Formats: sequence, structure tokens, C-alpha cells
Amino acid sequence: MSTSRATMIEFDNVHKYYGDYHALRGISARINGGEFFSLLGPSGCGKTTLLRTIAGFEDISSGAVMIDGRHMENVPANKRPTNMVFQSYAIFPHLSVAENVGFGLRRDPRSRAEKARAVEEALEMVGLKGYGARAAHALSGGQRQRVALARALILKPKVLLLDEPLSALDRKIREQMQVELIKLQREVGITFVLVTHDQEEALVMSDRIAVMFEGEIAQLADPETLYRRPNSRRVAEFIGVMNFLPCQVTGEAGGHIQLEVAGLGQVEIEPAQAPGVTRGGPASVGMRPETLTILYEGQQAGGREAPGVVEEVVYYGDMTYYDVRLDGLDHSVRISMRNVFGRPVLDIGTRTRVAWSPGALVLFR
Amino acid sequence: MKIPFLRLYAMAYLLFLYAPILLLPLFAFNDATVISFPLKGFTTQWFAQMAENEALRKATLNSLLIATSSAVMATALGMFVARAATRFRFPGKGGVVGFIMLPLVLPEIIVSVSLLVVLLQLGVSLSAFTVILGHVLICTPYAAAILNTSFGALDRSLEEAAYDLGETKFSTFRLITLPLVMPGIISSLLISFTISLDEFIIAFFLAGAEPTLPTYIFSQLRFPKGIPMIMALGTVLVAMSVLLLTIAEYFRRRGVARTGIKDTGGFL
Repeated sequence: MSTSRATMIEFDNVHKYYGDYHALRGISARINGGEFFSLLGPSGCGKTTLLRTIAGFEDISSGAVMIDGRHMENVPANKRPTNMVFQSYAIFPHLSVAENVGFGLRRDPRSRAEKARAVEEALEMVGLKGYGARAAHALSGGQRQRVALARALILKPKVLLLDEPLSALDRKIREQMQVELIKLQREVGITFVLVTHDQEEALVMSDRIAVMFEGEIAQLADPETLYRRPNSRRVAEFIGVMNFLPCQVTGEAGGHIQLEVAGLGQVEIEPAQAPGVTRGGPASVGMRPETLTILYEGQQAGGREAPGVVEEVVYYGDMTYYDVRLDGLDHSVRISMRNVFGRPVLDIGTRTRVAWSPGALVLFR
Repeated sequence: MKIPFLRLYAMAYLLFLYAPILLLPLFAFNDATVISFPLKGFTTQWFAQMAENEALRKATLNSLLIATSSAVMATALGMFVARAATRFRFPGKGGVVGFIMLPLVLPEIIVSVSLLVVLLQLGVSLSAFTVILGHVLICTPYAAAILNTSFGALDRSLEEAAYDLGETKFSTFRLITLPLVMPGIISSLLISFTISLDEFIIAFFLAGAEPTLPTYIFSQLRFPKGIPMIMALGTVLVAMSVLLLTIAEYFRRRGVARTGIKDTGGFL
């Protein structure tokens, strides 16, 4: 978790136009010092553009970007307290590993020996001790990634910017690098700003996440809030899997919202479960697959239950995904169940009961 | 037995292509003024005669000066073109680049005559300088085309990374861009040099009283006695070309090995 809570980066109503194209549409947000912050969204949502406005590679059309309390207008990229890890890593192919890592120290007044020690320390930090003399182009993808990290961190920037740094790695190495990046960030305590289109990566790594669509921040929250209380159907669909059931908002009583949900019947929810919904009328509720539980014979639901038929079974070894059509619903809902030794996987066509709890619902307009 | 037609065809092709060039050294060392078989005997007198020939030396120096200047200027201009074409977007870019490339397809005789008319109208006297102007005009499209490939293949984030790490725009160019496009620059210099060196039409129209090698050789062909010396000159030129290309290829391969860029084939 973060060590310092002061605002490190502040966006104040940032707009960016490319000709007629409105790439950033009024971004306002604060990123805290020492935080692992992610910009998450589909391609073309403006997340990379926003990252590049922090680095100084993109001028903004209006608004303001502040880093550590300093206005960044007219501060070029080479004078900003930020360093970047590029999607392609941008390792200089004609230089050795040590020359790459020490590149930013060229203007450093320290002696040659001290700089060499700093390079060696940076390499050690990313797990590449002794690689200094190697040719940079002979490294594997994961090693290039580490060199890029060491090269950026050796300057001790206030902010490290990472532009889809893991997207070019294969799955195993990517997951390993995710854990290493988190550890590294805690170790150095520098503010990390990560751009990614991979929602799982953002959830795993970040203290807070800004979900972006079409040049706007749709929701800014910590991973758990984002997952459990998405503020719009679009965010809910982008992050993880969510079942949507049509419903009617029928009234409000005693601080609760009353709903009539297809397949589930009458439900009362807290206002916190309805972010962004203000008035009655047709709406939909969302439920994550793991908040639904299939009841085996003799099992009793703690809360409420609904009958249905198993339509599809996908077996993953540790988990089984069931598509169950609840009575009174014209499509099935997805349910994820952890497999337990001795409990059989249900067959398609089995009639079953599904336990659910009103507290797990989210109401969307 | 199966007759390897394709192989025979390829061998015949290479023979017709290069056999005439092989005749150059053969007659350069032949002890006779007439270019015909059978050979008479070995001599180096044509090379000695070449070395003593004052007019030939002047023409050679002239050509080297023109080719070097043209190559350097065309390559410098080509770098501006390539950088503008690959890094920036501006209105009318296609048209501007098109105009720069136009001399590739314009008949050289038209270019030469137009340049001659313009230069005479401006009152510029014909010299090696006017030939350089003409050669820069025709070499620049080649230089731009070669350098476009080099600059285009360069990952833009490499320059951004250097700038991000505290370098200025200029030191980024010197430390990152220049070393990585160097193979393209060397190719461009060599090709421009070669084009300029054997260019005849522009040199013929614009050289005035300072002949270049091609115009000098052309003028000497009228005198049969001078032909063996031209053969000797040709031998030297071929030897130099082979040497130059070998050096260029050596540097290109070294560049490929050093930067680990995929080898896309060079001149050889």
C-alpha cells in the first residue's frame, strides 16, 4: 500500500484534440504519491494519450497537468520528473545492457565508478545482476522489460509511467512480472502509473484504477469497489463477467429501493447498490457469477433461492462454470462454482436451485 | 538425362552480363593498340600512359570532386526529406515529396537542357559547380528513397526514450538516431557517388571546359590509339567499385550484427 498520501499528479479538466478528433474529454483526477495507479480501457479510449500527457510527449489542448504541485505547461519531457517504460521497451539496440541502463546518467556529475555502481545496483534490483556487458539486442522479451525498468528507475523519478509493459510477454512470464512489478513498486515507493487494456492485470496490480471509455473516466476506484460496485453497466461488462437481469424499480421505502427482478421476484436493496440510478422505471440488475451458488439436494440457502435448469457446463478443473436458466427468464445466468472433492459436476438438463443474496446485486440504468 | 535448362539459362545470363567487363583487364594488359584477338603479349604500358596523362588526371580529380560533393549534399538533403516524410504530418506532404522524387522519372536530357537554359539566363558560368548542382538534383531522390526506409524502420519510441531520459532533441539525434540510420546513410552516400561518377548527359551539358571522366572517355573514343589506355582506366574503375562495395557490405553486416536487426539483404 501507499506510503505517502499527498497528491502526486493532478489532471484538471484536460482536453486533447487531434484535429477534429476529441481524444481526451475533460479528464479531472488525482493520483496519490506512492500509489500504483492504472489507466484501464479498450483500445482507443485515450488511456495512452493521457499517460503521454504526463510524460510530456503530448501537448494538451486545454486544462492543466500538475506533477508534485508543479504546473507542467511548457515543461518538456526531458525536464519532467517522470520516466517511461515503453510498450516496445525501446531498448537502444546499438548499446550494451549497462550502457542502456546508464543512459540517463550521462549528465550526472558523479564519477564514472559511482555511475557504474549505480548501474550495477539497478540491474540487481530487476534481477539482471552481471548482465551489464551483454548486447541489448540479444536479450529475451522479459529481460528487455527488466532493462527498460532499470533504465527508467535509475534516475529515481517521482513518477514511473508504464505503457502496456507486459502485453508483449507470454502468459507465464507476464504473471511473474506482475508480481515482481508490485514488489518493486513497494520497494522503491515511487508512484507507478500503468496503462493496460487487461482488466485482470489492472485488478491484480493496482491500488486504484481509472476505467476509461471514449476519452472520459467512467469510474475511478480501488479494484474491489470497481469489481463489486461498478457504477455503470459498461464498466461492469468491461471488468470480469456479470449477469444482467431486467427489472423494474417499483418504489422506495425506509431508505431502501424496491425492485421487481425477472426470475428473482421482489427485492429490496441499499442505495449504495444503485450507483448512478436516481429515478424509477425499467432498469437492470447485475450479479457476479461467484455470488450465485448452486444448491445440491438437501442443502438449504442462507438467503433466498430461485429454481432453474442447467443449460451448459464448462469444466475448468478447479472451477466449473454453469449456465442456468432461471424460471421466468428468457436467457441463462452464469454461475461459477469451486469444485469440491466428492461433489459431482451436474449434467446438462438437471433441474436445480440457485441461492442468491440481495446484497450482491448492483442496479444499473 | 534431364537437361537443367534453368541452370544453363542463368549461366548464359551471367556470362553475357559480365563477360564484357572481363575483357577490360584482358586488353588493358595486351601489348597491341588494336582491340582484337589473338592477344599479343603482356604489357603495363597503358597503365603508365594513363598515369602520365595530364588531361585524364584532371578529369578524374574533377569527377571525384563532383561525385563526393554531390553525394554529401544529396545525402544531407535526403535526410531532411526522410525525416520530414516519416516523422511529421503536414498539409501537402504527398505533393512535396512527389516533387522531390520527380527527377527519378524525368528524362535526363530534358533536365540537362532546362538546367543549361536557366543557368545561362542567370549568367552563371559553366563549371564543376554547375555539374554538382545537376547531380544533386538527380541523386537526391535516390538518397531520399534509401533514407526513408532507414528512418521509417526506426522505432519512434527509441527517440522518445532518449528524450525522456534527459537528452535534448539534438543529442538524441546524435546518440540514437544517427548511429541507427548510419547503414542507410552509407548506402545513400555510395549510391549517390556512383550515380554522379558515371553520369554523362548532365556533365556533358553543364561541365563547360572542365570535362568529367565519362565526358573525357567519350571524347577519347574518337582516337583509336587511346583506346587501350581507356581499357586500363576501366580496369582501375572496376577494381575500385568492387573494393568500395565490399567495404560497404562489410560495414552493413557489422551494423546488422551489432544492432540485431533482421538481415534484409544488402547490395551483395
